[in-house]
Amino acid sequence: MVEGELLIRNGVVYDPINGVNGEKKDISIRDGKVVEEVTNPKVIDAEGRVVMPGGVDIHSHIAGGKVNAGRLFRPEDGRKGRETKTKVCRAQSGYSVPNTFATGYRYAKMGYTFVMEAAMPPLAARHTHEEMVDIPILDNAAMPLIDNNWMTMEYVKSGDTDLLAAYIAWMIKATKGYGVKVVNPGGTEAWAWAKNCDINDAVPYFDVTPAEIVKGLAEATEKFEMPHSIHVHGNMLGHPGNFETTLATYDLVKGIKPYRNRPTMHATHTQFHSYGGTSWRDFESKAGAIADYVNKNEHLSIDLGSIILGDTTTMTADGPMEYSLYQITGRKWTNHDVELETGSGITPFLYSGKSPVNTIQWAIGQELALLVKDPWKLALTTDHPNAGPFIGYPIIISMLMSKRRRDESAEDMHKVIFDRAEYSSIDREYDLNEIAIITRGMAAKTLGLHEHGKGHLGVGADGDVAIYDISPEERDAGKIQKAFLNTKYTIKGGEVVVKDGEVVATPAGRTIFVTPECDDKLTEEMMVKLKDKFDHYYSVTFNNYPVQDAYLPNPYEIKAPWRS
Amino acid sequence: MVEITDVVCSLCGCVCDDIVVEVEDNKVTKVKKGACSVGKSKLMGHGRIESPAIRDNGTLKNCSYDDAIKKAAEILAAARRPLLYGWSSTVCEADKVGVELAEEIGAVIDNTASVCHGPSVLAIQDVGLPSCTLGQVKNRADLVIYWGANPAAAHANHMKRYSYISKGYWTEEGKKNKKLVVVDVRRTATAKMADVFLQIEQGKDYLVFSALRAMLLGYEDVVPEEVGGISKKDLLETVRMMKEAKFGMIFFGMGATHTRGRHNNVVNAIQTTRAAHTHTKFSIMPMRGHYNVAGINQVCTWETGFPFAVDLSRGYAWYNPGETSSTDLLVRRECDAALFIATDPGAHFPGESIRHLSKIPVIQIDPFPNPTTEFADVVIPCAISGVEAEGNVYRMDNIPIRLRKLVDTEYMADEEIMKGILEEVRAIKEKEGE
Amino acid sequence: MQTIRLKLKEEITSGDAKIPIEVDSLTPDKLFGKNEAEIKAVKVWWGNREENTGDLFDVSVEGEAGTVEEVKIVMEGNLSRVKHIGDGMKAGEIEAIGDVDMHCGAMMGGGRVTVKGNADCWAGREMHGGELVIEGDAGDNLCAMYRGEMTGMSGGKVTVGGDAGECVGQYMAGGEILIKGNTNILTGLNMKGGKITIEGDAIMPGADMTGGEITVKGKVLDMMPSFKFVETTTVEGEEYKKYLGDLAMTEKKAKGVLYVR
Repeated sequence: MVEGELLIRNGVVYDPINGVNGEKKDISIRDGKVVEEVTNPKVIDAEGRVVMPGGVDIHSHIAGGKVNAGRLFRPEDGRKGRETKTKVCRAQSGYSVPNTFATGYRYAKMGYTFVMEAAMPPLAARHTHEEMVDIPILDNAAMPLIDNNWMTMEYVKSGDTDLLAAYIAWMIKATKGYGVKVVNPGGTEAWAWAKNCDINDAVPYFDVTPAEIVKGLAEATEKFEMPHSIHVHGNMLGHPGNFETTLATYDLVKGIKPYRNRPTMHATHTQFHSYGGTSWRDFESKAGAIADYVNKNEHLSIDLGSIILGDTTTMTADGPMEYSLYQITGRKWTNHDVELETGSGITPFLYSGKSPVNTIQWAIGQELALLVKDPWKLALTTDHPNAGPFIGYPIIISMLMSKRRRDESAEDMHKVIFDRAEYSSIDREYDLNEIAIITRGMAAKTLGLHEHGKGHLGVGADGDVAIYDISPEERDAGKIQKAFLNTKYTIKGGEVVVKDGEVVATPAGRTIFVTPECDDKLTEEMMVKLKDKFDHYYSVTFNNYPVQDAYLPNPYEIKAPWRS
Repeated sequence: MVEITDVVCSLCGCVCDDIVVEVEDNKVTKVKKGACSVGKSKLMGHGRIESPAIRDNGTLKNCSYDDAIKKAAEILAAARRPLLYGWSSTVCEADKVGVELAEEIGAVIDNTASVCHGPSVLAIQDVGLPSCTLGQVKNRADLVIYWGANPAAAHANHMKRYSYISKGYWTEEGKKNKKLVVVDVRRTATAKMADVFLQIEQGKDYLVFSALRAMLLGYEDVVPEEVGGISKKDLLETVRMMKEAKFGMIFFGMGATHTRGRHNNVVNAIQTTRAAHTHTKFSIMPMRGHYNVAGINQVCTWETGFPFAVDLSRGYAWYNPGETSSTDLLVRRECDAALFIATDPGAHFPGESIRHLSKIPVIQIDPFPNPTTEFADVVIPCAISGVEAEGNVYRMDNIPIRLRKLVDTEYMADEEIMKGILEEVRAIKEKEGE
Repeated sequence: MQTIRLKLKEEITSGDAKIPIEVDSLTPDKLFGKNEAEIKAVKVWWGNREENTGDLFDVSVEGEAGTVEEVKIVMEGNLSRVKHIGDGMKAGEIEAIGDVDMHCGAMMGGGRVTVKGNADCWAGREMHGGELVIEGDAGDNLCAMYRGEMTGMSGGKVTVGGDAGECVGQYMAGGEILIKGNTNILTGLNMKGGKITIEGDAIMPGADMTGGEITVKGKVLDMMPSFKFVETTTVEGEEYKKYLGDLAMTEKKAKGVLYVR
């Protein structure tokens, strides 16, 4: 946030949360916030250019243990993205696993100002926060993994939803997190014994099923006025035929009432969960079946996890999935199981248009966006860096906006795209308003951040603005892609941070965290069980576990009261 | 008298965090519980560097912090190939400023991994690292293998807190239902506790790993009757134990990383873990030495993209251990100035390196006097992290833990000193720019 | 033909600190078409500062070149701290008289580099074409990959007149290496293609290889325990034992061939 006034004049504004669809409109900012009008501002002339709120990424892996393990074990990726330090910018490195500085700069150049780190292992939460502080410009938050935790599974088994709520409240507070993240529920605990679980399998030793874990966590989450629903990476990610598990997962939370008008489940990187077939040989797209469910139901939001062709670094708390991937490629593989809580795996992967499987994956990601009718139900992601690095977003934007571009891409890919996917038969083209929805509006609303100034340009919103160097009439997919990669201007909290595609200022971002407020008595009862875990099984003491305030130099707190 | 609990030890990579101390008159007077004897002595404190000092005509003359910091900045700003080395026995907050300084002056920044587990990092870059947190080992491991490591001497609490002797959820009876295998060139204290001790010939680790891999994958028949001094029978028995374990764990130390084959021994150890993983759960972890050597690797990686031996002379990072690592730079006499923080190259580097260091300006930042102080041109004492200063560190399994501050001090913390030098360097550069 | 002589000035290497000079900007393709004054103005890195070539080297140019192929650079003086000679070069010729520092001929795609002396580590790293001749010894990682990569040398030809260090041709995928002396440990580590011939002895050659061919004409010390003997065969009139490996990579992948006397 900077003091002073800024006026963005004559831009063509897309602000879908406020129903502004391509109107020529001025945006006034004072002391970092959008205001009705300004008196003596600095003026930016946006004449005829596309203006949107700062981008909001609902799901990306940008900071923490596994991201850094990805950087550490890939010096060959590190040397790809090297850029010399400048007067303003630190030295940059990396393509699929950029260093923290490059992460901030490159997102800002695309007009993004908020990114959600999608998976924070609670025991290593300090690490995630240390890195987030080192990511310039972006506001951020992180979701702790709470689904494979012994405490969670024990409460799910005993059916104590209130105590489970007390536990997740403590966990979110202890990790300075944002919401409940679920990754291969039960399967990651099973992976500690080199096993895995499908949705109705019993987790070894804990005698609960992934289905019960998901349901229990959704119910416990809705005990609070949480800004965001549970955020779910379901079981069997990346396996042929997994769409049935996916649909069954969606159905688990159908009857649960959310505290406000938002979904009860956000299902992430849906591309990886929309697979048909029985093996890689008869692998096919089931984007249609998934989109159909999303179209017919209101309790669910998704993000894409769209593929970007090329080499990348896959990383997830889904340890068994990474192991399967490594067995296919034989490339290097890192695994890091975390006691009582979670795990992670990392392996490099090359998405090739020559591969039938990768081609179908490419199709699925975009089909989902084209077949889900209401863009408010989905967000653009690549599950960075799993399906490809975030700097590929403009490629996906250009594809969604141009049928012709998609047809050209299909010609370059394996021919299975014509018979095992719907890709080439879909004519829909996104307009800029829909792009604004899937790159900022929807994510802000689904995360509940629109109430805290993100994702829109109404009075009181953060002065986060992206000005793209194209006119609303532009139809050339190549030009659209170029414009969305490097903004004409990115403004963060009223300060110009990118000008003509170059980073010109690097203010520190804020870390947004949620404080669920739980009844003291419940907390006390839960604490007996929790302390026993620390006394006997954790390798860190109870008092050394919670993230200290020192790790959030620029905190922003959202309180989540208990729903009476 | 105040009792402080949950004190975190700033000695080795175990980072024990359940220590209880007594503090009286702003001094740690007693370590009541949790620390090993070496950790205890660190917490209790010993002889300190008393004042900042600058060498003048061969002798160190006491000066103010300001003067020492200014002098250090002048040396670094003028250098064409400066080296900033150490960083493993201080906190991440100081490490971060170190990386920024390295960028500012076009230095090589390197840490003690270069002389300890650097080979492990290189191996991870070849094949990755299937690993876990220490609590996983505590709760689940029924087979523990120490390879070229002697925790009984070097990581005194390791077996008790995390591995062979510890008790956890599926290991309630401690070592009773666990097996311990030790591979070493000599019968160490740890080896004496082992169910199976494989006495390996010096420098033959690589061959033995390859033999184990071939056996784990089912090709026993090609393996000769003896490999690296170990009989095929003993190797087969080890392989049987590995396959039958529910959760196997390999910890390896400098005995594997610093003998013939070096980082490729670790590659092969990791490949052996991967081969074992085709049968059962198997993980592997380096026995990191200094309490925050994992931490500087983390910080350096997220800030530059690379974990150690990072050459920023061109304004971007060039990483190439063997070329940009401190040992090589010093033996090749490449540097024209050096800053050492929280380390003692005077004791750890070869004589040739020390001879070169005696010819170039050297800055030392450390709480304690050591052989480096004997030739340093600028000496800057600092607060002891974990006793007099707080901050983040990473345990050998990359779990971040915050060191506590137990007593007050007049000494500046590493982070403040580094920030002071960085500011002065920037001031000098600005002046030059004018 | 054009000959560009670059003689490193003595004072550059006479100080206490031996700071390397990095000359990846001084290849025939990059100097082609430049006159003497322009060559003197080409920037080279010396430590953390960029200097003019003319300030570090005595520069002289003789003759004219119509194509890059006609450009020959002769480097003289104490080159033991000159890194990246011929790094990334695509055509033309470099002759380095004396011992050279690291990364000589790295990333080379064409042309010819001759070192009349020893070459330090990473000579021919990731080379994919052209010819590199080292008349003396080569250091470690000759023709290997960069850290973390899975491909080392993939084309071209390298000859070493003397011995070579550790991990010669690691992750090699193509091309040929001839070592006239001995090699240190792990020659052809992770090799997947191409050919390495060692006229002297080798220690633990072929570990983790999945393709390509290694011939050791001298002794093999510490033969890998995970190779399978196939047959005795005759190569160039000499009798060799043929092994397949490395089985530690699984039998399916063990397609590397190792000939041992």
